[in-house]
Amino acid sequence: MNPAPFLDIRKASKDFGSGPVLDGVDLAVSRGEFISLLGPSGCGKTTLLRIIAGLAAADGGSVTLDGQDISRLPPHRRDVGVVFQNYALFPHLTVAENIAFGLRAKGAPATEISATVERFLALIHMAAFADRSVRALSGGQQQRVAVARALATKPKLLLLDEPFSALDRKLRETMQIDLRRLLRELGTTAIFVTHDQDEALIMSDRIAVMNRGRIEQLDTPEAIYARPATPFALEFVGLSTRIAGTVSGYDPDGFVTVETPLGAIRGRGRFEVGSPVLLGVRPERIRFGAEGGTNVAAPVLSDIVFQGARIQAHFASPDQHPVMIEISGALPAGLAPGVPVQISFAVEDTIAYPLATA
Amino acid sequence: MMRFLPRDRMLWLAAPALLYLAFFYALPLIYLLGRSVIGPNGPTLSLFAGFFADEYNWRVIGNTLRIALLVTLVSLVIGYPVALALARARGLAQVMLLTAIILPLSVGVVVKAFAWQIVLRRDGAIAKLLVATGIWDEPQRLLFTEPGLVIGAANVFLPFMILPIYSVVKLIDPRLSEAGATLGASPFYRFRKIILPLTMPGLISGMAFVFSLSVSMFVIPSLLMGDRFQTLATLTGRSFLLMRNEALGSATAVVLLVLAVSIVVGSTILSRRIGRMA
Repeated sequence: MNPAPFLDIRKASKDFGSGPVLDGVDLAVSRGEFISLLGPSGCGKTTLLRIIAGLAAADGGSVTLDGQDISRLPPHRRDVGVVFQNYALFPHLTVAENIAFGLRAKGAPATEISATVERFLALIHMAAFADRSVRALSGGQQQRVAVARALATKPKLLLLDEPFSALDRKLRETMQIDLRRLLRELGTTAIFVTHDQDEALIMSDRIAVMNRGRIEQLDTPEAIYARPATPFALEFVGLSTRIAGTVSGYDPDGFVTVETPLGAIRGRGRFEVGSPVLLGVRPERIRFGAEGGTNVAAPVLSDIVFQGARIQAHFASPDQHPVMIEISGALPAGLAPGVPVQISFAVEDTIAYPLATA
Repeated sequence: MMRFLPRDRMLWLAAPALLYLAFFYALPLIYLLGRSVIGPNGPTLSLFAGFFADEYNWRVIGNTLRIALLVTLVSLVIGYPVALALARARGLAQVMLLTAIILPLSVGVVVKAFAWQIVLRRDGAIAKLLVATGIWDEPQRLLFTEPGLVIGAANVFLPFMILPIYSVVKLIDPRLSEAGATLGASPFYRFRKIILPLTMPGLISGMAFVFSLSVSMFVIPSLLMGDRFQTLATLTGRSFLLMRNEALGSATAVVLLVLAVSIVVGSTILSRRIGRMA
């Protein structure tokens, strides 16, 4: 394994008085890595960010950055930059003054300040806006200024709290790629908080899927998509077809057979006979007809959803979980809502998760 | 042009207040101004020439400005931190703070001034406290002294300093200070470069309020200082009520008005400039 990680969070916990918001979170980040904290609102991701920045005090645990325990340091001594969700630009200062703020606060020489400000204005393509008031900027411009302001002091770590949530979709996508490129060029280690799975999948080296104050899975975007570790990760990242059932048999090489309303289905997992489980399959791994794999079912078609490059077919669900297929290309002929359709998928693409009985 | 029409019509909403002020404030003021510059033989500035020729009147002007300035400064030093705390307080703490600041406004100024007479006496609470803590060797009388007047007046006018600052501070995004911290700025640097410039408008109006109130206060200096100490306001009152010297009263009233207006307007312009530079 690697030597000591660049950022090492151990057993971070926080309770605002109504149950734990962070429940002993461990997180290790390497130098130069881009990590996303992905989860629904209230999962503790922003609290974790504020604890790393020193803007909130953890109840327990430690934060070590670049070999130094920063748990007890005030935010202005931590060398951790933050891009806030609403950007928090200083409204009484110009664009250039906002970017210069950190260097001025640290007492950097004037020549260094003006050189750095000029460099960052060029990096974010806003040299022409140096002397404008930040209040006159568009949302995308404000976001770029906020990023430049945070990076100008060369922080050891950059934290970003949903920096794209106020931007419209088109702009968001280009800005995500721009930001990723900028951080790679500067070699910045960054932690990015988002509830948007697409954003996390596009930008991250690794994603930490968070739920109820815990990290449920920490892995590369590809691994999280292909092998979600928990039902929550399966449901939160990407679309999934989910079928509940009861284990009726298992074999030693790690596969179980599950009795479901759609018939017997096999999938990966180690469970005892009689355990309630949830089977998950990515919709694009399912095929019409019998060629998709050895798991075959014939659910009733309920709806066809055209999405441009992809088409989704939804089926009447035996329980509250969705059953759907996603294909790119033409639909088979003769599909009509209300009619059972044969579908099939591979055992290897089917993962069984423990199902909490209500 | 059409879309400006509604805004033009909105201005009519100010009409009742304007009419009221015109009849009961502007007209008497014009009458007063007129009396001060029109003598028995036509327009003249002889009243002011006479007023400014008297050295005693210069002392009165000095008293007025000195006390008003001190009261403003004391209110600012006490009130600014309170306003910051009030804006950050939540729930019950905020309600209690606000009540503590606003409730005293319902007590008449005469009542308060009499209460301060008791507090500022040689055997009053302040003297006892200062002797008990060892700051004073023996009790002294604060009543009928300038420090006593400043303490009493600052108490009465404090809400007018706190509330305008509070109303500005509570609009400031707390994340601005957090952003400053994550950029490496110390708490003092954050205060100087973020909080202070952004609260400047509230500071200006608070100072303008307290200054105009204390430059023209009448009851408080009358009760806490007595007749031997005169300000422009008390002298105006004496001229009309006791000396029956309406000419002198008009003169002092006009001088007071001009002084107060010019200082408030001047300081506003000045502070705006400082705010922009900071």
